[in-house]
Formats: sequence, C-alpha cells, structure tokens
Amino acid sequence: MKKKSLADQIFVICNTIFMVAFVVITLYPVLNTLAISFNDGIDTVRGGIYLIPRKFTWQNYYTVLHKQNMITGAYITVLRTVVGTFLALAANALLAFIVSRKRFLFKSQLSLFWVITMYVNGGLIPTFLLYKNLHLTGTFWVYVIPGTVSAFNMLVLRTYMVGLPDSLEESAQLDGAGYMTIFVKIISPLCKPVYATVALFVAVGQWNSWFDAMLYNRMSDKYTTLQYELMKLLSSVMQQSGSADSARNSANSITPASIRAAATIATMLPIVCLYPFLQRYFVTGLTIGGVKE
Amino acid sequence: MSRGKKQAKQKITWKEVKRQKVLLIWSALFVIYGFIFYYLPLGGWIMAFQNYKPKDGLFHSKWIGLDKFKFLFSDAAFIRVIRNTLAMGTINLVTSFIMAIVFAILLNEVKNVLGKKLVQTISYLPHFLSWIIVTGILHDALSSTGIVNELLQKFGIISSQINFFAHESYFWPIVAFSNLWKETGWNAIIYLAAITAIDPSLYEAASIDGAGRWAKIRYITLPGIKPTIMILLLMNVGNVLNAGFEVQYILGNGLVQKVSQTIDIYVLNWGISQNDYSLGTAAGIFKSAVSIVLILLANRMAKRSGEESLF
Amino acid sequence: MKSKKLTALLLTVAMTASMLAGCGGDNAGGGAETSNAPESEGGGSNETASSGDDGNKDIIDFTMFIAMPGSEINDGNEIQEIIAEKTGVRVKETWLTGQTAAEAVGTIIAGGEYPDFIDGGDGQMALYDAGALVPWDDYLEKHPKLKEMYSDEEWDRFRQDDGKIYWANIFQNTYGEDKSTTHNDEAFWIQNKVLAWDNYPEIKTLDQYFDLLERYAEANPTMEDGTEVIPYTALCEDWRYFCIENAGQFLAGYPNDGSVIVNTDTMKIEDYNTSETTYRYFKKLNEEYNKGIVDKEFATQTYDEYIAKLSTGRVLGMCDQWWDFYATVNDVFKQQGLDLKGCNYVPLGLTIDEGMENMWHTYGDTQNLANGVAVTTSCKDPDAAFQFLEDCLDQEIHDLRFWGVEGVDYMVDDEGLYYRTEEQRMQWANKEYQASHRCVYSYMPQYLGTSRDGKNSMNPDQQTSEFFSALAQPLVDCFEAYGVSTYVEMIGSVNKETGPWFPMYSFSSNMTTETPGGVAWTKMGEVKHEWLPKVVMSNSFDSTWSEYMTAYEGCKPEDFLSEMQTELDRRVSLAQ
Repeated sequence: MKKKSLADQIFVICNTIFMVAFVVITLYPVLNTLAISFNDGIDTVRGGIYLIPRKFTWQNYYTVLHKQNMITGAYITVLRTVVGTFLALAANALLAFIVSRKRFLFKSQLSLFWVITMYVNGGLIPTFLLYKNLHLTGTFWVYVIPGTVSAFNMLVLRTYMVGLPDSLEESAQLDGAGYMTIFVKIISPLCKPVYATVALFVAVGQWNSWFDAMLYNRMSDKYTTLQYELMKLLSSVMQQSGSADSARNSANSITPASIRAAATIATMLPIVCLYPFLQRYFVTGLTIGGVKE
Repeated sequence: MSRGKKQAKQKITWKEVKRQKVLLIWSALFVIYGFIFYYLPLGGWIMAFQNYKPKDGLFHSKWIGLDKFKFLFSDAAFIRVIRNTLAMGTINLVTSFIMAIVFAILLNEVKNVLGKKLVQTISYLPHFLSWIIVTGILHDALSSTGIVNELLQKFGIISSQINFFAHESYFWPIVAFSNLWKETGWNAIIYLAAITAIDPSLYEAASIDGAGRWAKIRYITLPGIKPTIMILLLMNVGNVLNAGFEVQYILGNGLVQKVSQTIDIYVLNWGISQNDYSLGTAAGIFKSAVSIVLILLANRMAKRSGEESLF
Repeated sequence: MKSKKLTALLLTVAMTASMLAGCGGDNAGGGAETSNAPESEGGGSNETASSGDDGNKDIIDFTMFIAMPGSEINDGNEIQEIIAEKTGVRVKETWLTGQTAAEAVGTIIAGGEYPDFIDGGDGQMALYDAGALVPWDDYLEKHPKLKEMYSDEEWDRFRQDDGKIYWANIFQNTYGEDKSTTHNDEAFWIQNKVLAWDNYPEIKTLDQYFDLLERYAEANPTMEDGTEVIPYTALCEDWRYFCIENAGQFLAGYPNDGSVIVNTDTMKIEDYNTSETTYRYFKKLNEEYNKGIVDKEFATQTYDEYIAKLSTGRVLGMCDQWWDFYATVNDVFKQQGLDLKGCNYVPLGLTIDEGMENMWHTYGDTQNLANGVAVTTSCKDPDAAFQFLEDCLDQEIHDLRFWGVEGVDYMVDDEGLYYRTEEQRMQWANKEYQASHRCVYSYMPQYLGTSRDGKNSMNPDQQTSEFFSALAQPLVDCFEAYGVSTYVEMIGSVNKETGPWFPMYSFSSNMTTETPGGVAWTKMGEVKHEWLPKVVMSNSFDSTWSEYMTAYEGCKPEDFLSEMQTELDRRVSLAQ
C-alpha cells in the first residue's frame, strides 16, 4: 500500500467534514417531518418540534391510512409506476439510441423536434380537449401514454450512449447484427447506470403525481391515485381547520401540518426501501460492469 | 471527447435510407407521437389572440389580436416580474448546477462504499418533501428567534436580530438556498451515473503516474462527465424563465413583493384569478419564445466550440 | 439480463407499496366504525359494488362537484344510506383539489360533461354563460319547501340577465328565530384575562384598546412559563391581509361591505382606504409598532406562524375574523389548559371615537348571490334532482344531516331539547367517524336558526346548551362581568338592518380585469399589500403615508369606485 500524500489526507478530512455537514443539513428537514408526523396535531400547532415528538401519537398515520380509496389509490399508483416506467424507459432508450447513431440521417432534426417540446406547452384546456378526443380521459392510460417520451430523459440517455465507443456498433454490424439487435444486446447492457437513473426519475414522477388523476378522472374513484387521495385528505383538513363549519367542540387532533407530515413519510417510505436496488447501479455500478472492450 | 464531432453532414442517399430503414420507421413513429402529444395542443395558443371564454370554446371566442401581449408589455409590473424571474432563474441555475457537480464529484471521492451510499441516500431525501414543508422549516430557522439569528448573534456577526423576510436584498439568496437544500442530492444523481461510465483503468494509470486526487478530478472525472454537464447546462439555459412559483409564492410577502413575484405569480394574479385564460397563454408563448431563442443561441455556441450540443 | 433485473426491481416497488397499502387495509378491518366493505384486490369497482349490494333499484345515484375544498365521505356512509332510503337519492360529492375554482370549472366546461349537481364557486357565472344549468323557475312552483327558502324579493335577486333563476345560495339562511351565539366575523379580539386584570373596563375605542394592552404588557411582560408576551399582532399574508386592511370601515361605524363604505345619507360609495379614520388607525398602529407593542414580525409571518403564536397564548390581541383563527387556537388552548387561564379571545366592538355605534356584527342573513347549488343540463333526472333539493329541507333529513342519528349522535331530553353527551361530541368531531357516518351534504339547501319544532336549533353549532357547555370558566366570568351571555352581545353591535345592496363585496370580489375598475381593484390590492406594512413600520409616518397615497392614487381607484357606485345604484333601484 502506498502512503497517502499529505494533500490527499487533507482532502479526505475536508471532504469528510463537508459530507457530514451536508448530511446534517439535508437530513434535518426529513427528521423534522418524521417527528411532526408522530406528534399530536394540535400540539404541533404550537411550534417548537424539532427532532423528537413532544406528544407521541399514531393518529396521523391512522388517519392517512384510513382514507377511503387508499387501496385503490395504492394499486393504481403501483400499476402506473410499473407500467409507466417500463414504457418510458423503453421508448426513451430507443429514441435515444436512434438519435445517438452517428450515421442517422435526421439526428439533428429529430433532436431539435424533441428539444422544443421541453419549452412549449399548449395549456391546460387544449391538452384536456386533446385527451378527451383521444378517449384517454376516464381511463388508466391517461397516466402512462401522454408522458412516455420526454425530451429530458431522452437527452440524458443519449448523452450516455454517445459516450460509448463507436467500435461496438461497427464490429456488431460486421457480424451482421441489425440495429435492433445492437440496441437490445450491445448498447442496453452497457447503459445500466443511466437506465437506472432514468427509471428512478420516471418512477418517482409517476409515484408522486396526482394532478392528472384529479383532472382527467375527476368524478370517478376507479382510477384514483395514492397522492391524489392524500391531496384530497389534506385539502379537506385545511378547509376544516379554517372554517366556521368545523365542529366547535372539536376533539379532533388532526391538523394540516401533521397530516402533511404523515402523508409525506408514508409515501416516501416505499421509494426509500426500493432505492438501494437502483442505487447500486449509479453509486457503485462501475465495478460490476464497466465499459470495456 | 469530441471525436468525430466535426464530421461532414451525412448525405441522404437511397442506399443509406435503406440501410437505416428500422431507425427511420421508429423515428417516424416517435415524430407522430410527439406531434400528437406535444405539438397538437399548441393549437391552444390561439387563445392568446382571443378573449377566451369557456362557453365559446376555442373556436368561437372573440378575436382580439395582440391585445393581451400589449397589456403585458405595457405593464411596468410585468417587466419587473420578467427581471425577477430572470434573476432568480439565473441564480438558481448557476448555484444548483455547480453544487450538484461539486457534490457528485466529492461524493465519488468517498472511498467507503457504505458511507458513500448512506450520504447519497440521505442527500436526495429532501426532494420528496413538498415546498410547503421545506419553506416552513426555512421560515422557522430564519425567524427572529430562529437558529440563524441565534448563531449570528452568538458569534457576534450581528448585534440585533435581522428579519430576513422583510428585506428585498435577502430574498433571492433565500430562494436560491432553498433550491439547493431541496434538490442538490437529487440533481447529483445524473452526474453520479455519468461518473460510473468513466473507465476505471484511467484512474489506475493516473495513480501509477503519481497523480493526486485533485489531478484525477481535474483530468479524468471532470472531462469524463463533461458531455453530461454540457447537455444539462444547455437544457437549463432554456429554463431560466421557469424560476418557479411555489417557493416565491410561499416565501414572499407584501414587503418584498417587488422582487419576489415571478411571471407565474403574475399570471396567477392577473390571469387565472381573473378567469382570464388568454393572458396566461400569452405569457406562456412569450416564455416559450425566449426559451427557444436562448436554446438556439446556446446550442450554436456549444457547437462552434466543438462541445456536446443538443441537436 | 438487464430487463430481468429491472423487472425484479420494479416488482419490489410494487410489493413495498402493496405492503403499505396492506397495513392500511388491516387497520381498517380492525377499526370499529368503518362501514365500507373490504375491497377486492382488483380495486376500482366501488361504484358497481356499492350500488349492486343494496339491491334497492329505486335509489338514484347523482354526482356533485363543489368548487370549494371539502371533506369526502366514504361510500356506504351510514347517514348517507339512511337519507338515500328515505329520499331515494344518493349524491356523490367531489371537491376542489389543488386548483382554483375557475380553472376547475373551465376544464369541466371545456369537457362538456357535467356532474348532476354543481356549485361552481367563483366559476358559477361561467357555467351559466355556457348554458350548463337548468332553470329553477318551473320547479320552484312544484316544491314549496324549496321556495320557502327565500322570499319572492330575495329569489328575484338570484335572477340572471335572462330573467331566470339558476341557483340558490344555501348559506346564511335563517329559519325562524336567529340563534347565533358567536360573532363569526371581524373584530378586535382580546384575551379575557387582560380584561379581567383591569377589572373588566369598558373598552370602546382603539385608543382605549391599545392603552389597556400597553398597561397589561408592562405589568405582565412574560407569561407564567417565561415566554414574552406579544401585545398585538396583525396578519398580512396573501388574501388574509384583511386582518390589517379593512379595520378602517368598522372603526368608522360601518358594516362589512368589504371593499367600500356605503354612506347611507348620500347613497354614495366612499373609499375607506383614504379616509380620516383609516389614516388615524394606521397612525396608531405605527405609533404602537415603534413602542414595541405591535409584533415586530407581523408583516412577514405566515398564517401557520400566526396561528402558532396565538396558540401559545402569548398574543394578547389582534384584529381578525373569528372563523380564521378560533378552531385551531381554541383546540390548543383547551389541550394546554390555557382556556382556564383566560387566554380565550373575546371580541370588542371598537370605534375610532367614543360615542359611536359599531356595526362589526351584522344581524340577519347576508345573501350571497354569486354562487350556490345548481342542477346541470347533464343531469339524468332533473325532476328527481329538484325533489332531492326539496327533501334536503325536510326537518327529518335536515336533522339527520346536521345532528345525526337520534340516540347515537345526540340525545333528546324531557323537554324535547337535543343535546350531545361529551362522548358523542368527541365522536362527532372524529375524522374517521365523519367519513364513515356523517353525511352533511354541506352544499345542499340548509337552514340556520330555529328548527320547525320551535325549540332546537337547525344547526347544533347554534344550540344554546351546546354553546354553554363548551365555555371555559374565565369566559363565563367575563361575559357575566359585562352582563352579556354570548359573543354577539359582547361585541354589542347596533341592530340596524343592512340595505338591499349589502354586501358590496359580492360585486367587487367578482370584478375582473376586463373593466378598468377591475384593473384598478387588482392594482389597489397589490399596492396595499406592499404599503400597509411599510406604513406601520415607518420611522416617519406622515411621509410614508403620503408616499403610499401617491402609489395608491396611481392605481386609479376612481375607476373602481365609479363602477361600485353604478352597482350600488343598480342594487338600490332593483329593490324599489
């Protein structure tokens, strides 16, 4: 083992300090939310909850998990996350593959076509009318079809693919492989880290979305999502705590802040549990399957 | 890195078309998809030239030409919100961009795998907190009895409490900080993935040559992720007018509204809450136009200097 | 290879999530009061399941969208089922979430498919314009209870420009004798312990009010636990800035017309923003701010922070509307025992000078014409829909909606008076119980005031016994000392009938930038948001005030005022 230079040692110390500070600062809001989620709602209103609940309760989680349609919502959310992620990954990867081929005739035009989509938006009502005319409203597909290809994810994938050696494609073509074979068999296996990254982006986006459920499936519970149910719960709690309508002799310890905290933690948890499986690809991915040859 | 970049443009020949048949068919499908889902709704842009009323719909509302644009650009308040949006957009772009890269690179230097994973996991968690939670905590920390004032007073930096939210000069930095706080770890994920693509033998070779940490970062890691950096930079340049809505809306107050209001807040006040759909559309068209011009310029500059470009 | 791994990984998401959902399901099964049948894994088939189960073919399922935030109730809600059995109608309510009312209504109109019932909130007019609503005129004749809601004159005010009635507002409509005990609106509030400390003095003017706050704070600079008291705070956040903005109209002895004062002698619109009273009010606030009596952070506090401050009992007084703070704050007081220490707020009917009448409290009903329940053209069965609106006003159904089930949610004493036991009160307020048992149909026709039995209140909130059972001892003492028994009597507003134009804010809040008056109105709002805190925090009040006035005049308030005048004239002439 070589001895580390002084500069390296200083670097390691400084870096460690930086990382610890970073962790402390970023962990605080999460721990604070966790503490509030376990604290009595009325007590939370007084403020002064930092890391430890002052008046412990399960009530907030109880209320969140008891919301009607949570099961339907969770089911639809999982379904859209799985289906949406698969579709989006496949489509974006294929598109990225196409525009990252050096010889592709329209690579610049096709890229421009997609780049522009990032900066234009027809607005709520025209989009609504479009989906309605495509008979997407009132169906599950409105969650996964419209957003499948996104220029951002495509460009992230493309950048990675462009960085792969050209020789891979050339030698495969010499062996008589077609583009699809190259895409599936040669390029994709090398793109695991970036696939994992994009899968994470899409999955988190799908997992957290509720606006589309509200907009396109407003009057039916059939295709409600987890986050939409939570939004509804939150907005009803907010409305209640600020209106003359609420029960005067309230024994109700539910407040917006406590429900928000419990809902946040409850929906964050599955993602956090899943995360290590994806993380290995982009934190330690290299040693498993490096870009060699 | 830029090998083959300056390659002459491919000639469209029948032979080449045949060779790329699969690619062309698929791209045609993607173009159709993109056209339907992204370009077709742009038909709604005609709303900006109408006095759109829900009852008349897109086809029967009254035409008013450029009135909405005239309204926007003759209003000093709109010019001011453009300034605010641009300023906050730029500050956020620069700070969040640099922080994410620095964090990714430094995290990559952590050699303890467990520690690395742990830090990375924790760093992206705030992404899942809503703005209302993050700004709530920030508001608390910056209040007159909050931790920031307490620390500043303890170390004698200030003599009396500062009400951070009452002064216009603090507003933009506070917004920038909240963005960093919430999104740095999340934004760094892309760079971490890009770093994994760097051939480890390069590091080994550099070690043998006696290169230190800084040298490796400078000559291997940074160049290795440069294409990713360039692409994200270019994309974000087009987003400077999307400085956001929620943070500014929640953190803003009457005293700082001259610097806190963004285009989106303006549209809320003057469009959406007035049942005026046309105004928001007009502002949206303006934003899109600026974004696209910026992107075209930035892309051309990148191409000229032989860097990675968007198209 | 990679796709297998990806599958595995995505399945893990699925499993984790279903585990989470699973916990929820288990709890639901274990919980006592949940009435909804456990759903199948397939999910998403509520509608068919619930309507299939009861086997009652006569029940019509209607949908309703309410462009306000609200609480959903569960499918199979107990009272909803009872009402459905009695009326043959079940209504599924959907509420506004994460959008403005106008946006939501705009999208619904664009889609062209409406729910059976709708209350469009701010977007109601757009629904009428779009021809989405069914006129009530013919149905009103057939449904006496519905017609009874308003007098002919009042119904006429709901007529749109085609001369027909399309909706009825359902709030603030009193049947029989008015039973209100609370002052739901704006006032200068003060903790009752402050009044007790000074032996319940007569506080009639703004100066007396601040004088008392000053003296109390000097004598008691901290609470028992050492927390510094905040003598006065004022909320300025977003739309809630009315807490600082509109006291001028009340202090001058006018009722809450909201955006303007109506001078009843001249029948002219007056602007309270520039009035002498408002000037004096802000000068006073400025003076108190510089003395350290007004909260230093009043201008930058958020609503949550404001409520947190009030909840600690530190804040001695503020100007606010009752509904804006009481629910949460009173709950915390109760939990912390602060109500027994005299922290509860009581309203004072202040005026700028002594010897003036105050009109902080408005007696009688305020008819909001802007929105209300409507039946849409998509409604499957308008006859049944109107019949249901009628049935909602039936006393039995009304009691079920607001009181609940007799013996379960409330008891009846020997004299026929309804009351709740402590247990029932707790249960009634419980969130889960509300979802599974309570069915208020809160945007359907309803009454306040006295029940048709002549004894009880239509709404339990107004039942005298319910009101007194919730009062803490110091409050009772305070009321006693002033010789009053309710909040309404406490504020002591003069009982003068408001004019047929009241309230003028129902016009200004619907103004849009399409008219110069609407543009001015929006601009005035922005200027006031910025300048009112500045004026209060100023080192030299008069120069800041004149800067503010310059900025204010730049908004062309005269455009706004003249449109308000036109509307006032219209309303007055309509009433004649």
